[in-house]
Amino acid sequence: MPIEIAFAGTLFPGLLLLFVLVCVLLWALDSVAGRRGWYRHVWHPALFRTAIFVCLFGGFGLLLF
Amino acid sequence: MAISPVSATTPPAAPWYAGMRGFLKGEADTWLFVLRTTLAFFLTGWLAMRFQLPQPGTAMMTTVIVMHRQSGMVLAKAFYRVLGTLIGAAGALLIVALFPQQREPFLVLMALWIAGCTAGATLHRNFKSYAFVLAGYTAAIVALPVIASHPGQIFDSAVARISEVLLGLLVTAVISDTLFPVRLRDTLRAAVANQYAEFLGFIRGALLGEVPREKMEQAHLRVVRDAVTLEDLRSSVIFEDPEARARSAHLQRFNQRFMAASTTFQSLHHLINRLLRQADPSTGQALQALYQPLGQAIQSGEVSPEQLAAKIHPVRKGLPARIALLREGIGGGANVEDFDVGAELLRRFVKEIEQYVHARGQLTQQVAPSQEDARAHFVRGNDYAGAFVAFARTAITMLVLGAFWAASGWAMAANVMLLATIFSGLFATVPNAARMTGKLAGGYFIGLVAGYVCDYWVLARMDGYALLVAGLLPFFLLGPYMVSRPKLSIFGLGYTMGLVNILAISSLHSFDPTRFFNEGTSHMLAMGAAVVSFALMPPLVGTAWLRRRQMAGLRAQVRSAAQAPLRGLQHRFESTNSDLLHQIVAHTAPGSDESREQLAWALAVNETGRALIHLRQDVAHEPASTPLHAHVDAVVLALSDFFASPSVDGWQRAERALEAAMDLARTQCGQAPVAGRVLLHLGLVRLALVDDRSVMAPYIVPSDSSAEETVDAH
Repeated sequence: MPIEIAFAGTLFPGLLLLFVLVCVLLWALDSVAGRRGWYRHVWHPALFRTAIFVCLFGGFGLLLF
Repeated sequence: MAISPVSATTPPAAPWYAGMRGFLKGEADTWLFVLRTTLAFFLTGWLAMRFQLPQPGTAMMTTVIVMHRQSGMVLAKAFYRVLGTLIGAAGALLIVALFPQQREPFLVLMALWIAGCTAGATLHRNFKSYAFVLAGYTAAIVALPVIASHPGQIFDSAVARISEVLLGLLVTAVISDTLFPVRLRDTLRAAVANQYAEFLGFIRGALLGEVPREKMEQAHLRVVRDAVTLEDLRSSVIFEDPEARARSAHLQRFNQRFMAASTTFQSLHHLINRLLRQADPSTGQALQALYQPLGQAIQSGEVSPEQLAAKIHPVRKGLPARIALLREGIGGGANVEDFDVGAELLRRFVKEIEQYVHARGQLTQQVAPSQEDARAHFVRGNDYAGAFVAFARTAITMLVLGAFWAASGWAMAANVMLLATIFSGLFATVPNAARMTGKLAGGYFIGLVAGYVCDYWVLARMDGYALLVAGLLPFFLLGPYMVSRPKLSIFGLGYTMGLVNILAISSLHSFDPTRFFNEGTSHMLAMGAAVVSFALMPPLVGTAWLRRRQMAGLRAQVRSAAQAPLRGLQHRFESTNSDLLHQIVAHTAPGSDESREQLAWALAVNETGRALIHLRQDVAHEPASTPLHAHVDAVVLALSDFFASPSVDGWQRAERALEAAMDLARTQCGQAPVAGRVLLHLGLVRLALVDDRSVMAPYIVPSDSSAEETVDAH
């Protein structure tokens, strides 16, 4: 995956694209987990979600470099 | 007895530390909020400098603007702020691309864009309106600083602004959601439990004895308030809690059933009261007897919603037999007709209360996968006059400031325009905007002074980010602390904005007194412009004129009940009514004659509109005979005319149309079952129309047929 993506003559950072992608992914995960009540088994849901986001974003970010 | 009389009469003296606990709890919450805000603020600044963003100050300002005690609010605000920022930046690019070199058309278009966004903001509640405000002033933030000197840099400016705002939002969202968060979800839970308990308690109380009309109206007010509050909370909580988001449709349905059940209950209660006041109260008494089993079911103290639903279910099943039994004991054709109307209403109420209790039970369980019916959207009632005033005010302010900029050539005039945009957008939806902006300006001025002290006495001696934090902290802390105090919150917001804005923190801090005074003057000018514009063209929110308009709008709801497409109409009708009434009563003194009249009208509109909707639904399912259909249409038309402009003439026309339609329905009762149901709905409408204790009283002309009914029982 390229580090920068050219779109209409401007360069966009690949990280931005990944960021949006991970946001969408997390949103999908949230709606499943919310419906099934998975977050009830977690001590601090917000922290857990943030941690998942960091893991996903960091993991995908490694693809770039 | 061991208890001494002294200790039985006076409670033991509270220990000296009793109040301390509550005080410390409140203070702890406040200081945690201050901690979150401060942390987000400085972390954002540090990150912005690490990322070498051109204006770390903008990112830091963002954290100040979205800070809120409850994390759901921050997340909702942040979400809409992202939307607004992106749209605003796109708007700025478009406007600059159209007129890169011509200043006048650029300024006009800019003013129109901002004014349009501000007007849009007044048409929405919650943070959706915030997104509109943002779309307006982000365009100004992006375009104004570069347009005069280098329009070519507009794209870089847009990207920088977006990055700064997003960085600020991201940091604030993460910190307020993870660091000792105050959950909005808990507030929502409490609101649901409270609404449920209060509503059942009210029904319980009403079943025990007659509730006076004023109390009924107060109860209606509470229902409206609860319904709107729940909807407001729901729309923010979904950002905080994935589980609440999965439940969102349930919550909407719960709220819908709440409104439906309470409207039916009020119709029923007024009907029974009215029948009891007649010369012959036997019909009313029969209806009260019919009521009994439900009353006993609800009476049964603290039980779970499932258990309560299980108790109401057999009551509903046994209702038809009970109706038949009691119906036999009533003499006289007119009385039987009235009894039928009441019995039908009661049947509906029992069904609705069972659904309501059931929906409450669903909320406490795991999220059920069923999505059987379409989402029940809460529809808001809007008035376009307010939006128009907001549009005109913002456009004029922007044009005047733009002209000032063009005429004076003062470089800082762009700054004035920018800040004025921000403030006239932020407060466009608030009543008393001039006073609020004035307060904000006061806070802003103190913030500027504090900024001067901080900048030239403290920061000038310091070097490096850690020392910047240390130097700024004592000045900054005051801001969020004031914001968390209800009385000082606006002042505190102004203070913080002034301080942060004037310092314009960046990696290369410049100590330039000329710039400081130039900017300070421009900021205060902008505040002044916003105050003056709000004073000259105040927002319509809360004015008597708008209230009268909204009342007319509320009454016109009967017309929409009579004519709008039927699909989902009932909930649309009820939620719009609630929203309108909520806006109207928010600005009248509670308990005044005016507020009483508003509530009475709202009740009448609700009753009549709902009956009309049910009538139309029945006729739509099963077409009535042509002459009956024509008569029903005439009734609907006459009623919507009467509600649009109430008058004695209109009342008489509506009453005559009703009588004619009812006579016809009576003759057709034997042939078509739909005629019987039409008769019930018409009867309900008529009973509400001739109710001499309701808001109809001044219009009622006692005719021969209704003379006996308007006689007071006492």
